[in-house]
Amino acid sequence: MQSLYVEGNSAMHRLSPRVKLLSLAIFSVVLFISTDIALLSIAMLLAAVVYGIVGLPLRDALRRLRPVFLTIAVVAFFNLIFNPWHDAVVTLLRLTTLMLLAAAVTATTTITQFIDEVTALARPLERTGWVQPDDIGLSLGLVLRFVPEVIDRYQAIREAHRARGLKVRPTTVLAPLIILTLRDADNIAAAIDARRIRRHVS
Amino acid sequence: MSTRDLVLTALFAAIIVALGLLPPITLGFIPVPITAQSLGVMMAGVVLGARRGAIAVLIVLALVAAGQPVLSGGRGGLAIFASPSAGFLIGWIFAAFVTGYLSERLVNHQQSGLVQGVSFFLAAVIGCIAVLYAFGITYLATAGGMGFQKAFVGSMAFIPGDVIKAFVAALLGRAVMVGYPLLPARA
Repeated sequence: MQSLYVEGNSAMHRLSPRVKLLSLAIFSVVLFISTDIALLSIAMLLAAVVYGIVGLPLRDALRRLRPVFLTIAVVAFFNLIFNPWHDAVVTLLRLTTLMLLAAAVTATTTITQFIDEVTALARPLERTGWVQPDDIGLSLGLVLRFVPEVIDRYQAIREAHRARGLKVRPTTVLAPLIILTLRDADNIAAAIDARRIRRHVS
Repeated sequence: MSTRDLVLTALFAAIIVALGLLPPITLGFIPVPITAQSLGVMMAGVVLGARRGAIAVLIVLALVAAGQPVLSGGRGGLAIFASPSAGFLIGWIFAAFVTGYLSERLVNHQQSGLVQGVSFFLAAVIGCIAVLYAFGITYLATAGGMGFQKAFVGSMAFIPGDVIKAFVAALLGRAVMVGYPLLPARA
């Protein structure tokens, strides 16, 4: 599993992650207010330039966008058939612009920077007791740590099926996968508490 | 949230991510392979309950936003949320919550296996089909500009597959409840 971050030193890389994420949020609102095709076209071209300076080779840059652009294109196609063409074009331009800007932010923001920003954003909620901001990074880190383990376990269960001549069925594979994985929770939790990683938990 | 609950949600998020990376599994009775990731969302509710299930899904979406290719087919990054079908992703959180809420209320250990299975199935259908499609269709109709009627008709094609997944999720929910009970949630 490789992060979508791209090493580089472009203007987008140097911009602070907070500025990037905030402007992306603002742009997404502005884009949905505007219905002017000329304006949206200019915005899309600018977004393409922003994505272009990130420094990805053209082929990689396009391959990343393909799954999202496909859904946008399919919806635009149906809109063109069933709805007024003006609306269809507006939606196409709007979502494509947003996709390009979002992809540019993702390609130039590391996961650490992102987690720091989300943690800072959650800081005011700390007093409400709904969320402990420091737990966000811990949870995301735990997931990345355990995904390979879950995949190994899945392969092992599949091998066990094969060895016994059983067909690999979702019910017979996933039940042991879930039970075996979740059974580790107590030990992992004990390990975390023993190291006092969650300082707010006494 | 206790450390154990935090670890449980993170582990389940890891299972959901892994289900997206693994090749699709073929069901015995129909030839079409299913992508197991949305099955993972149903199971989050059925296995972990409302709060922990919703948080597990939220963690997966946070990883998507953080630029990790954790969705099926190696998709990820903020651009995913610009897709007209992004409503189905956001809806996952509420789908897992409602499925979990209903599972907590409808299922208990005194019931027979059949009652438990049917209850889990109902919880998954209401949460991960009715609630999920309400979010997905609304977003598709407004942000995707399709209009409600067309968005509704277009989404119907995916319902049969999701009903089958709800059935599988119900079987798994019962299997996990027997093997490693987590519901009703411990305080």
